[in-house]
Amino acid sequence: MSAQPQRNVITHALAQIGEAGLFLLTLLAAVPRSMKHARETVRQLWFVGAMSLTIIMVCGLFVGMVLGLQLYYVLSIFGGTAASGTVVAIAIYRELGPVVTALLFAGRAGTSITAEIGLMRATDQLAAMEMMAVDPIAYVAVPRYLAGLIAMPLLCAVFCALGIFGGHLVGVSWLGIDNGTFWSNMTATVDVWKDVVNGILVKSLAFGAVVSLIAVYQGYTTPPTSEGVAYATTRTVVASSIAILALDFVLTAFLM
Amino acid sequence: MPFAQQNESIARTRAPAKVATLLGLPPPLSYLSPLMTAPAAFSEPLVRIRGLTTVLNGKTIFDTLDLDIPRGKVTAIMGPSGTGKTTLLKHITGQMRGDAGQVAVDGKNVAELSREKLFELREKIGYLFQNSALLTDFDVFENVAFPLRQHTKLPEVLIRNIVLTKLQAVGLRGAAGLMPAELSGGMARRVALARAIVFDPMLILYDEPFVGLDPIALSQVLKLIRTLNETLGITSVLVAHELDAIKQVADLVYLIANGKVVAQGDPKTIASDGSPWTRQFFGGDIDGPVPFQYPAGDYAQALGLAGAEG
Repeated sequence: MSAQPQRNVITHALAQIGEAGLFLLTLLAAVPRSMKHARETVRQLWFVGAMSLTIIMVCGLFVGMVLGLQLYYVLSIFGGTAASGTVVAIAIYRELGPVVTALLFAGRAGTSITAEIGLMRATDQLAAMEMMAVDPIAYVAVPRYLAGLIAMPLLCAVFCALGIFGGHLVGVSWLGIDNGTFWSNMTATVDVWKDVVNGILVKSLAFGAVVSLIAVYQGYTTPPTSEGVAYATTRTVVASSIAILALDFVLTAFLM
Repeated sequence: MPFAQQNESIARTRAPAKVATLLGLPPPLSYLSPLMTAPAAFSEPLVRIRGLTTVLNGKTIFDTLDLDIPRGKVTAIMGPSGTGKTTLLKHITGQMRGDAGQVAVDGKNVAELSREKLFELREKIGYLFQNSALLTDFDVFENVAFPLRQHTKLPEVLIRNIVLTKLQAVGLRGAAGLMPAELSGGMARRVALARAIVFDPMLILYDEPFVGLDPIALSQVLKLIRTLNETLGITSVLVAHELDAIKQVADLVYLIANGKVVAQGDPKTIASDGSPWTRQFFGGDIDGPVPFQYPAGDYAQALGLAGAEG
């Protein structure tokens, strides 16, 4: 029998959250030291941000189109199709934009961050940096964390823009809602601070902070084996998805 | 960049000594002056290990190990697989800490150094990893240039010259633009070697430097280790199994087994010193003080044959 007490699923999850919290403190403490690696942060911003644009744009467009279709169907029952633009915009700004962007980001960029750092550990690259007196937290972990934090709101803004364009495409160009009604109802109802800023900035920043932390933490602490990297990558997606949806509920309750 | 700052950066990488080495000239006297003015300090071993005891997962790796690495010499550390040779290098660089005892490098107790001081010490140590550990995002040139870019503000032209010099020394100047994935194992090792020596450190630790090298590359690497030692006075520690290569390059050999130094001496004569350890290790005998089998239970029982005789 092992001398160490076996952790059950809940205590293991709580322990992981605690360890991730301590890792976050280590990351934040290393931010000043990582300033000299600003070029690396920009490079990572390209990888996790710019390279995610295609999936974010395509998904944003289709989400907006589907939303436009569904809302037209429901609103036409009550003769309120003119409100289609308003509801599309509010749904996308407040919920779908930040949540779907974060979920896509976790799948596209989060997994690549975890796998990359995990493989760097497995192939002794992090140890080599330590031996060259280069702090891997400041050089590898912090730039990826900051890049995720910065990229998320930007990607969310792009997602929202394409989503509303998709809703417009279906509602106005296809189903014949008046163009002026679509935009004027939307601009009259949507509040910049309560809807746009809370969704794109507040929620996205929170999701960016959590998803990037999970991705970097899982990569940095993965066992240096191929199986360890595989499990860590899976855990990034699972933990990020749960964290995004749970945090979304909490934030929505506070931002109402 | 201000001239004074640039000058300091150049001095830090010992550029004059590099240029002299490149041209085949003796190193400049200014570089050697500390050696001349402080003979007492330099008579001390560069690495002094006393009473090092390390237990990993219940297995004793080092048992009150005592070992000295003399300055300016090439020291080889040999021993059976799994005996803790790489672990010993990790203790020297502060990547691992022992449960008891002391590891002092250049007079500093490694275990007591703060992270900043440890990084300062590591800037003076080159380390060749067993698996090369090249940064896969960068090409060969950038891998070798990486320590220079991180720790100096040298002008690009000087970085380029230093990197090309080191790559020329390991025979891979023409591979500067290749990515690590495009290199063979032996080539990757030579690139890692170029990176380890790019600062001309005071101490270079080579973990299995000869694995995967063809005879030509092996001969060049041996020559390089010896040249670095003789021209710049760099202390080298080799972990290797190839006695023939070690005979050519090392000044001193330690044989480690069972957590202790079981034999030490001149590489040319150590194999014939008559001890059962050296006789078994260098003779390649299965029988002897070093067990070939990893500790295990009864073989017949494991095969389900227990009690078959009865």
